[in-house]
Amino acid sequence: MPHHQHKKRSTPEHDIRSEVTSIIAHQLKSPLAGIKSSLEVILSGQLGALTKNQQEYLHIALDEVDRMVSLVKDLLDAARIDQKELKLNIQPTDLVKLIKDTIDNVATFARATNASISFMPEGEIPLVSVDATKIQQAVNNIIDNAMRYEQGRGEIIIRLKKVGQKIIFSCQDNGIGISKEEQKKIFSKFYRGRKAIELLPTGSGLGLFITKAIIEQSGGKIWFESNLGDGSTFYFFLPVQLKKQK
Amino acid sequence: MENTAKILVIEDDKFLNKLYTDQLRREGFEVSMAISGDEGLNKVMNEKPDLVILDIVLPHKNGFDILSEMKLHAHTKNIPVVILTNLGQDSDIKTGLDLGAVGYLVKTDFPITKLGVEVRKYLAMKQKKQEDIGAARS
Repeated sequence: MPHHQHKKRSTPEHDIRSEVTSIIAHQLKSPLAGIKSSLEVILSGQLGALTKNQQEYLHIALDEVDRMVSLVKDLLDAARIDQKELKLNIQPTDLVKLIKDTIDNVATFARATNASISFMPEGEIPLVSVDATKIQQAVNNIIDNAMRYEQGRGEIIIRLKKVGQKIIFSCQDNGIGISKEEQKKIFSKFYRGRKAIELLPTGSGLGLFITKAIIEQSGGKIWFESNLGDGSTFYFFLPVQLKKQK
Repeated sequence: MENTAKILVIEDDKFLNKLYTDQLRREGFEVSMAISGDEGLNKVMNEKPDLVILDIVLPHKNGFDILSEMKLHAHTKNIPVVILTNLGQDSDIKTGLDLGAVGYLVKTDFPITKLGVEVRKYLAMKQKKQEDIGAARS
């Protein structure tokens, strides 16, 4: 019997994944920070005046770098979710204010895409114990999808109400909708619907994967109703009961 | 006057170090640089900068260790430290602020063109604190 050389394989899977996360964080983020900072310095005019064309091209480069930065952040979140290392900083949070702030943050993009967003909270909405930054990220992902995957003029209606011990959020759009066969894959990592790819080839397919993980880790649940060509409504609930940080 | 303040930049990425250093020099500061944790701590101890810009992930000694050591010595514990890092999780921010950093900036989120303003803000806070202590003693 041949004597097998003992292969050195001491690194557990968890460590390998952690290493990948660390590579994403540092090996990608550092050069991105360098490119972004260089562009900002040149664009500020500190190193000399720029022509209009030069400014325009540098702005394009800066926008692209910003897009890459958010992709890297999404990849990092996805890696943390895989490793069960997504940490939540739980605090009493006013969801009405959080949603209003999120809508304000996307107002420029909504105007640019000719989308209208209305928000209709119903009755008293008590504070909930969640990580406000992460829930805002989830809400932003849902509204961002509603604005991007539109057909014609986007009309988005956001509702919030208390039902029993749950706060239910919904975001209804009149966009492209999701086909029946694609519906079960929509929360999978990197999955993107065929229509979605046609409309926006550059999406990462991470937004809803991250959103679902945030909502579930916050003690809630996310779901949707949709018909191809006939819009979608995304829902999530969060428990009212104030939850203690683990 | 405050523009001649001495800033120490501890950053192991030599390109980023150059970017931050150049930016601060253009803003009129005197800048010293270090590219490892050991070198950074040595320079903190020997050069007594007015403010330190500190990365976290560094070779030999990380930024949190440097911050902790600075707080142990009377002549370095009041030097304001602004963390400038890629680590943006709440737990990292909390650790940095708990250890006594006056500011916490995430590299990809913070525009470098605001670095001078940020540094001046913390230098002014330091000066006010010293004046308050001086007034309380007199």
